[in-house]
Amino acid sequence: MGGDYAPEETVKGAVLAAQQGDVEIFLVGSANILENHLAKYATARNASIHIASANDFIAENESPVAAIRHKPDCSVAVAAKMVKSGEADAFVSAGNSAAASVSAIQYIGMVDGIYRPSIVGALGSFAPNTAMVDLGANVDCKPHQYLEFAIVGSVYAKKFMGIAEPRIALLSTGAEEGKGNEAVREAYRLLKNSSLDFAGNIEGNQILNGRANVIVCDGFVGNVLLKLYESIGGHALDWTHQKMKRYPFAGIFVKLLFNKLFQATKISTETEQGGGGILWGVDGVVRIAHGASRAPHIANAIESAKNAVRAKTTDSLKAELEKYNQGGKA
Amino acid sequence: MTVEEQIREIVARITRVDPSIITRESTFKDIKADSLDVVQALVAVEELFEIEIPDEEAQKFQNFGNFVSYVESRVSKAEKV
Repeated sequence: MGGDYAPEETVKGAVLAAQQGDVEIFLVGSANILENHLAKYATARNASIHIASANDFIAENESPVAAIRHKPDCSVAVAAKMVKSGEADAFVSAGNSAAASVSAIQYIGMVDGIYRPSIVGALGSFAPNTAMVDLGANVDCKPHQYLEFAIVGSVYAKKFMGIAEPRIALLSTGAEEGKGNEAVREAYRLLKNSSLDFAGNIEGNQILNGRANVIVCDGFVGNVLLKLYESIGGHALDWTHQKMKRYPFAGIFVKLLFNKLFQATKISTETEQGGGGILWGVDGVVRIAHGASRAPHIANAIESAKNAVRAKTTDSLKAELEKYNQGGKA
Repeated sequence: MTVEEQIREIVARITRVDPSIITRESTFKDIKADSLDVVQALVAVEELFEIEIPDEEAQKFQNFGNFVSYVESRVSKAEKV
């Protein structure tokens, strides 16, 4: 029951999601607190919302890695264990995302062949046939992780973007094989020798040209790019608005046009709104929501988790890895 | 399988390295293990040998050999009891 506005907004978001039907929700956290908040919603009485008690939690400033050992009954651990036992199909967290990730690794486990979870996002508007991995789950990466990101991205492109044979590219500082840092150079070698459709390196100015369906990078670079990309629309609007001050009537028109156009520049993961994404590679569905999520974002995150469960993303990833390990194209 | 071999297998599986490169002198840094790898290895070893490794002891491990020696001593003590 984490998040900047928890438990109020988180409980409200769960109630919103439950009103859509077709979902049973367990709120994991302090039972007393949750019962009090849930009691505020008359509609919750008829909805499928239950409480799973967990009296411990991982604070924002606490090391999630250390907490694995010392707080096995904290809320994210309890939620992860519910997924592992089959009591729940997915867990959603707006709390410390590293804690959710670490709990997922420890208590649910990773799909065989995947080292750590990653976050995938489709670029949408400017490059509708391109997705990027990793968008922030792994700040420091080992070379083999880039290969895993490529496989995860391939599954995403096939499953959610309808691309039968995704082309993979590695984000680097130059097109040549020897460009990039040590991990990227080694990753190039692994991708080149894989059975994936590897298009080589691409540079930042080629991200949006549609040359690649899956762009692979570490989570540090991916997260910086994600935030830059999401901010482009707003900055373009401000800049244009300043320029158009000389022409007030045209300015209003341009503002309306830009508002319409640039809403679409947000990177989206599945039906995602409000930040976060599915943690790909975990042997179960885990959906991270932005820490600052309000109720509608929480409801969207629950919807996104439902979509991932319905789309059988974990099974698809396992099948693609199996195919890849046998020498086929992932 | 000896205690050392079992621990080497756990560490290699978690860090995704070839077990043969892990020697008693190898540090976690040598095998590019991060803090999550280390904790996962500790948890896995604790579960396998049914022991608890206090943080203050774990922090003293300078290399793989220290880790193995500590677990060996705990396992042999448990066997004597």
